[in-house]
Amino acid sequence: MSSTIALIESAQPISQGAEAKVYKAYLHNGGTPVLVKHRFRKQYRHPTLDATLTKSRVAGEARALLKCLRAGVNVPGVRMVDSAEGVLCIEWIDGQSVRKLLPGGEEEEELDDATDLTGESSQNAAVSSLRGYDVDELMSLIGREIGKMHQADIVHGDLTTSNMMLHSSSQGQRPRLVLIDFGLSYYSTLVEDKAVDLYVLERAFSSTHPDSEPLFASVLKAYEAQMGKEWSAIGKRLDEGAPSFRCNLKSS
Amino acid sequence: MTVKAKKRNPLQPPDRTYLALGLEGSANKLGAGIIQHAQDGSTSVLSNIRHTYITPPGEGFQPRDTALHHRQWAMTVIQEAVEKSGVSMRDLDCICYTKGPGMGAPLQSVALVARTLSLLYDKPLVGVNHCVGHIEMGRQITGAQNPVVLYVSGGNTQVIAYSRQCYRIFGETLDIAVGNCLDRFARVINLSNDPSPGYNIEQEAKKGKRLVPLPYATKGMDVSLSGILTSIEAYTQDKRFRPHGAPEGDPEDIITPQDLCFSLQETVFSMLVEITERAMAHIGSKEVLCVGGVGCNERLQEMMGIMAAERGGRVFATDERFCIDNGIMIAQAGLLAHRMGHETPLQDSTCTQRFRTDEVHVAWRA
Ligand SMILES: Nc1ncnc2c1ncn2[C@@H]1O[C@H](COP(=O)(O)OP(=O)(O)O)[C@@H](O)[C@H]1O
Ligand SMILES: [Mg+2]
Repeated sequence: MSSTIALIESAQPISQGAEAKVYKAYLHNGGTPVLVKHRFRKQYRHPTLDATLTKSRVAGEARALLKCLRAGVNVPGVRMVDSAEGVLCIEWIDGQSVRKLLPGGEEEEELDDATDLTGESSQNAAVSSLRGYDVDELMSLIGREIGKMHQADIVHGDLTTSNMMLHSSSQGQRPRLVLIDFGLSYYSTLVEDKAVDLYVLERAFSSTHPDSEPLFASVLKAYEAQMGKEWSAIGKRLDEGAPSFRCNLKSS
Repeated sequence: MTVKAKKRNPLQPPDRTYLALGLEGSANKLGAGIIQHAQDGSTSVLSNIRHTYITPPGEGFQPRDTALHHRQWAMTVIQEAVEKSGVSMRDLDCICYTKGPGMGAPLQSVALVARTLSLLYDKPLVGVNHCVGHIEMGRQITGAQNPVVLYVSGGNTQVIAYSRQCYRIFGETLDIAVGNCLDRFARVINLSNDPSPGYNIEQEAKKGKRLVPLPYATKGMDVSLSGILTSIEAYTQDKRFRPHGAPEGDPEDIITPQDLCFSLQETVFSMLVEITERAMAHIGSKEVLCVGGVGCNERLQEMMGIMAAERGGRVFATDERFCIDNGIMIAQAGLLAHRMGHETPLQDSTCTQRFRTDEVHVAWRA
């Protein structure tokens, strides 16, 4: 048995998405925890195709994270990559998903794209303090991190409030906003791709959090400030609306 | 906390028997069918007749010739549908026709027939979205309640889920449709168009063994297929390619047309299953329904079934009578709309080549 498989067998399951199972585990006894993301074998796929895809996706996700880290974007550090086994281990972020910190995020859990396997009851929805941040400040943090990521020409591909975490930090330090789940990310310099990234986030806000317009506006404001002169083309693309974006029934 | 009230079905049970004629001709199939919604709530297909315009190997169908085919066959096909149904034109509640999407000239020729019949028998017209026709017929035949729908045909590739009286498109092709991709490759290797190029690709693929590398292009819940078509076509120019297959026991490193059909299906279908699974995970659904001509491919159904089973769910599919374009699906979707009070006035009974699935107000569902 490979050491990677042994690691998974000792790990605690966290959730299962469409593509991967996610665990919490320890690489060393008494060390800090890591998050293990295992792209398990897809039985419907030809084995050769499955192996090639899994390998390139694990490597791709690791590469995107490393590129973000180098550009100073807050993302989990990469701890271990075993692309042949489909396993990526990253820094464990101690904190809350932004979704759960915002109003509405606790409801309609059945719409989440992952099944919660921990069975832990989640915290009270009415987190008014937001760990010392006001909502506006949290939105600014989000806008700034997305801006930094786009400046590094990484498009996330799945920007939702579930894929951002507020890192609870040690006494006195300000919490960090961390972007997670780069499973659908890719490299692109195109205005269109970055605009779609933001549009996807706007849709996620409006479908999850009631009265989200001012929230998203704050995100955009901070994003604009971060992007500098790169903003104008993206802003223009957003204003043009959505011929290639889908469904004209709003907020469904 | 919001308390979810159980939503009431807006469609009232029929107070009598309802009958509709459906006419379809958005591509190379001309179809006519009569559906019945009975008072006991049951739905019956009284007739479902189709005639396909088949072109010689290596040739696609052109709009003008296809429209001509539909005009030539309209009377025969409709007459047969009426005779087989055992009802008369006078018993109908409405005449449903495909408003779009599809090829302009063939759509027009069938809409003209629908208008003529409407005036002749004084029956209201109902213009129907072709994609919604596929979805409603698939739901009716399989009994799938609220599935994620994979709609795959010669002109369309979409992953759809119902939400708030709209069939929302979660993912789709960014360039060509999957059926178009298969058909075009069938022409490159000179497969017959009878009964359909896609059917013949499926048969050839069963004899293929070797998986050649092809670009795999999913982007979130979307796919891109034109790069794959270019690559698979390039293999037919490869030194290893043998258009007439391998001599028995040949140890050489060769690629056969069967290998290419196999590789094309395995790669393209994996992409489709992957985006469907992503949509299912996203909305938390365990059912998937395959509709459209490519939806009757048994390898696609098998792969979809394995994926669904792994998620604790199942796949629903229909056979060629309902998967391939047909008149009855237009009758079914049209009659549902008609029972909600919808009709298309004569002056609005136009066609449109572009008509997105999510533009339709699905008034008959809660
Ligand atoms: N680095 C991390 N540290 C702690 N928890 C994480 C981390 N990354 C993800 N999670 C938790 O695991 C869940 C699933 O992980 P994610 O990477 O988003 O995979 P998926 O593709 O299944 O959505 C997240 O919603 C989050 O709650
Ligand atoms: Mg996620």
